[in-house]
Amino acid sequence: MKLLQVSLRSLLLYSLLVVLIITPLSLYFINRILKQEVDASLQVQTEQFLKHIRGFEYLEDLEMDLAVLDKLSRNMSIKPLVDNNTAKETFQTIRVYDSIDHDYHPFRKLSTRVDIKNKPYLLTVQVSLVASNDLVVAIGTVETILIILLVGGLWLIKRSISQRLWRPFYKTLDQLKAYQIDKNETFQADETTIDEFQDLNSTVKYLTDRNRNLYLQQKEFIENAAHELQTPIAVFQSKLDNLMQSSALQEEEAAIISGLEDTARRMARLNKNLLLLSKIDNNQFTNTENIDISTLIPALIKNIYDVAEAENITIKTQLKPLVIQADKTLIEILLTNLLHNAIRHNHRDGNVTIQIEGYCLEISNTGKPLKIDPEKMFDRFIKGGGTQNSIGLGLAIVKKICILCGFQISYRYDQQHIMTLVFK
Amino acid sequence: MKILIIEDEQELVSSMIQYLRQESYVCEVAYTENEALEKLQLFEYDCVLLDISLPDGNGLKILEWLKKQNKSEGVVMITAKNSLEDKVRGLNLGADDYLAKPFHLPELAARVSAIIRRKHFDGNNTILVKEIEIDLLGKIVKVNRQETELTRKEYDLLLFLIANKNRVVSKNSIAEHLSGDDAELFDKFDFIYSHIKNLKRKLLEKGCEDYIKTVYGLGYKFTV
Repeated sequence: MKLLQVSLRSLLLYSLLVVLIITPLSLYFINRILKQEVDASLQVQTEQFLKHIRGFEYLEDLEMDLAVLDKLSRNMSIKPLVDNNTAKETFQTIRVYDSIDHDYHPFRKLSTRVDIKNKPYLLTVQVSLVASNDLVVAIGTVETILIILLVGGLWLIKRSISQRLWRPFYKTLDQLKAYQIDKNETFQADETTIDEFQDLNSTVKYLTDRNRNLYLQQKEFIENAAHELQTPIAVFQSKLDNLMQSSALQEEEAAIISGLEDTARRMARLNKNLLLLSKIDNNQFTNTENIDISTLIPALIKNIYDVAEAENITIKTQLKPLVIQADKTLIEILLTNLLHNAIRHNHRDGNVTIQIEGYCLEISNTGKPLKIDPEKMFDRFIKGGGTQNSIGLGLAIVKKICILCGFQISYRYDQQHIMTLVFK
Repeated sequence: MKILIIEDEQELVSSMIQYLRQESYVCEVAYTENEALEKLQLFEYDCVLLDISLPDGNGLKILEWLKKQNKSEGVVMITAKNSLEDKVRGLNLGADDYLAKPFHLPELAARVSAIIRRKHFDGNNTILVKEIEIDLLGKIVKVNRQETELTRKEYDLLLFLIANKNRVVSKNSIAEHLSGDDAELFDKFDFIYSHIKNLKRKLLEKGCEDYIKTVYGLGYKFTV
């Protein structure tokens, strides 16, 4: 859920709560104020009437007039009081049937005990009240409109905010998603006037720059280390070459020298492959040209023909023209490594089959099933077969070249090892 | 034959001198660029072994200087970088060959002898070792004036052994010489043996003496 949605949701929930509390409260207060107002006016009317009556107290037929007045006035009645115990003043809310509306309407009534010519009378003044259900409907309508305006307004504001205000944030996010430490130069964020986003961008930039520098240093270190190792290995190798010339060598010593020489060669190969990996990392292979895989493969097979023959391994090919655009050196390394693996992890009198189908090259070879997880076989220094000879970088280089060139490589075992390489 | 070795790693230099001296080459050493330029100005050399990463400068500058001076020294570039650009630049600047560290001394000796042959025996591209005669242009090998049919690999092998005559050449260095990068498959398959066997058989058939000796556990030696 988006941040804005969450904040909007809380805002809406809160305003709904407020509306729900405010509606009965305002109803209560409006009713109270109305009642007070009405009561006051009833009292004023009563007082004015009494003041008026006092002026006529000397009239003989006042009692008659009062009876007439009682009959004529709809909202006022004055009747002789029979029961002497009635309270002096009482307010009442009553419901009166309205013959026009055919409905009951609420009225506020003030009954006052008055003495006119020493005779007790009951003066009643009443005023129609607004029906409370009408009031609820009116207030409810107003509150509903309020909610609609609130929700609609907030939603519109949210939309414009997310489109305008949050744009730099989403842009930064997109850039971060697309950021690749080995590809991108540096992280470049757009200028923004919002402090928080500026802060975010500068932090992200600081982080990516730092990581990139570390990455570059690491890369340089690997390359330098591999370079620096070449000379000591060369010294080691040359000393062995000279040591071999000694005429007094015993069989045991010869075996030691031979073992050392194999070790020197392993070191040299390891180093060479590390250098190759860092060169691929450094994008030093960029001579893109048209390469026909179906003509390249026979040339590469020629190089390993001797070895294949010595182990009586049969190499079968089914090649169709397949032209790709890539750096030739890289493709040669890629295919050579795959072919070497097909020979190395094979057995005597085995088979290697190479076929091209569309954009797909398949190299399959006989051999024992893998002892390692096929998922890990493309990782560095993972050695699959039982051969001492492997240094565990061949397939890592293959994978690296595939990533660089956008090829897809996959492995499966179906009675034999099958490597599938899809160009494009 | 005089060789100038321009290389800053003393241990490597001493090994190179020790090995090349057996072929009766006279070796001189320059450890820095300045030393090298001084020596190249004063003396003539048949071959220069040039490490292009020197402490006080880039060896490619020495190549440029040699080219400007129209010097005829044959140059083998030696580098720890093994980068294609360096190789192309060096060869464009007039280097005759390129060798990446680490290398086998027999390989170095083979390259040096090839360069010296090219520089000194223009028009006469024949190697004579006892009854064996090798025509380098036609790539024809004759024993007692009789031509013997060798495969490409056998021919390369013979030249390699002769360039390192009277010295033990390991199987590894032969494998790398014959197959380059594909040599990494070879310690599983000892196939060099069959090449040696075939070469020996073909030479013996034409009445050649058995010069190629097996040095047990190490490799082979062309003994004259």
